[in-house]
Amino acid sequence: MQRLNNKLGLFSALPMLSILAIAFFAPLLVVAIFSSMPPKVFTLTHIPDFSAYSVFFQQGFYRSLLWSLGAAFISTVILLVVCWPLAFGMAKIFKSFTLVLTIAVVMSLFVSENIRLFGWVLTLMKGGLIEGHMRAWLGIGFDSPLYGVPVIVFGLVYAYLPFMLFPLAQGIATVPDDARQAAADLGASRWQIFAQIDVPLAAPGIVVGCLLCFVLSAGAVAESKILGGQAIITITDDIETAFTFGQDWPLGSALSVIFIAIVSVFALLAISVVDLDKIMGRKR
Amino acid sequence: MDQTSRRQFLSRTAALGGAAALGSFIDPAFADRNDQLNILCWEGYNSDAILDPFREANPGATVRAESGTSDPDMINKLRAGEVNVWDLINVNQPWARDQLYPENLIKPLDKDRFLPHFEKMLPEFKNYPLAFDDDGSLIGMPQRYGPFSFVVNTDVISREMAEDQGWSLFLDPAMSDRYGVLTYDNWNVMHMCLTAGLNPFAPVAGTDLDTFRSTAETIFGGAKLLTDDLVAMNIALINGEIDAYFTGGTYTASPARYDGASNVRAITPNSGPVDGKGGVVWIELTSAVNNPDPSSLAEDFLDYVQGPEASKKVAFTEGTYNPVCQMGNPEVMALFDAEELDAIQMDSLAEEMARSLDYEVIASYDELIEIYTQARRS
Repeated sequence: MQRLNNKLGLFSALPMLSILAIAFFAPLLVVAIFSSMPPKVFTLTHIPDFSAYSVFFQQGFYRSLLWSLGAAFISTVILLVVCWPLAFGMAKIFKSFTLVLTIAVVMSLFVSENIRLFGWVLTLMKGGLIEGHMRAWLGIGFDSPLYGVPVIVFGLVYAYLPFMLFPLAQGIATVPDDARQAAADLGASRWQIFAQIDVPLAAPGIVVGCLLCFVLSAGAVAESKILGGQAIITITDDIETAFTFGQDWPLGSALSVIFIAIVSVFALLAISVVDLDKIMGRKR
Repeated sequence: MDQTSRRQFLSRTAALGGAAALGSFIDPAFADRNDQLNILCWEGYNSDAILDPFREANPGATVRAESGTSDPDMINKLRAGEVNVWDLINVNQPWARDQLYPENLIKPLDKDRFLPHFEKMLPEFKNYPLAFDDDGSLIGMPQRYGPFSFVVNTDVISREMAEDQGWSLFLDPAMSDRYGVLTYDNWNVMHMCLTAGLNPFAPVAGTDLDTFRSTAETIFGGAKLLTDDLVAMNIALINGEIDAYFTGGTYTASPARYDGASNVRAITPNSGPVDGKGGVVWIELTSAVNNPDPSSLAEDFLDYVQGPEASKKVAFTEGTYNPVCQMGNPEVMALFDAEELDAIQMDSLAEEMARSLDYEVIASYDELIEIYTQARRS
């Protein structure tokens, strides 16, 4: 009876599952097929020649990809370092203050990312909130930190902080206090507790946070455009240009496919090394 | 009281859902689309200030307008099959004749209805060639326009000096790190050709491609910032981060000027490599989309926006402020005050137009945009 019920459940879910599968895979499939088309065509009725992929190397698009991945990697590392103490506090120390902190961080997400980044432009620009006040009150002026690589990384760290903080706090919350206390009783140093108890047991949270931040930062374009003055051209920017001003849909599709493939490899590798069920709370 | 059971409710919902889904298929055969109008346009035409009077004149009609962020974006929508969604498309002048009309995405307008409007336009638009196809069909109506070359802060670089120096201003080593590049990429390709002393509207090949490459690299190399946001660029210009920006015109400078920053000025070079001209002018054309299920409101709307009140609103809606060719009509001109005319640089508009080339399709665009994007990445 239980087996029959399970089967009926699956059968009932089939129509919705197929709609979801089509909705998810159909656009990806169209992009994949487009990427095989000859340059500058707008239909899928041509003979595939995969020429768009060779352009990736010939015209140096790999440089944009490396910039995107590099900036994403650096910002993810910074986020991990910055968020760890905060997440530890939220999970183990702050008690009711954790709720205040959570609301404060979540509220920042209510405002569009572009508007928040533009707020930073007004804060950091020459004559802006900081430099303008410094010049008016103290007579000290300085060049704005805008339009460079460091401010782009800053923007990524700022924009994706919640995506690291919450999974990390969730991961740290799953570390049993007993294990930490037992290790301390047995003479483990703080560093040993951190390296041998906290990090391994919080690994699912660390991986989920890093994965979210890395994938989102690698596909980000607003930070480079708004704060960085396009000091680096990201791969997303190149994809957008190929589809719009370049009017080369196959090239845009090929760049998208390469990007999706690389990010997917990272994602699959990451989730294969940890037990996600643990942080998702599924009973075993 | 009518009690509806859960089962009845579900079956009725399913029937309604099915009818709605079916409706979308049978629509073209039964529905009358003359009560709908969908406009794909640059910002401005989608303003309620322009749409509401038309809605009031056509009660019961659903009038909707969506603004695009670039010409290619909007054209992509039609190519991707949205010809059966839109009734009017408003893009810059070369696209209609060179791409939209040959690809059957737009259709000719009624000449008897629209040709008389040209009589009231400014002199340079009375017989505007790009509004017509080679076969003589009228394929779009011009309205907003503006010289588009570059913008300077006249407190730092005088208008006379900028006009005399022209595009070479951006190759001057003294300007390194003192200007921005507004990444309207198709415009930049054109302007970098002019900076390199090349004609963007004639094929560029051989060593000229190398000249274009080195010019593009020099300009990107010396740029302090790149952005596609004209507000961010104007702010950087006003607060002294930069003293000029590559690619800009009345379209980008007017919001800052209308806000009181009259030191932000669009510049048209005095000379250039194509027939002595170095500036370029854009002119928007609004065309009727070749919708398989057309709406008669499309031409009605196009007719309506030629009127004085609507023309003024098109020129001065939110966002950017631009001259309109209907300013040849004294009734339209009378609606502008001195401040508004100063924002759109009316004092020099005619001479700037005389020094400007028509924005055409860039002959070697495919090769040049490749070099351009490569230079941008480097």
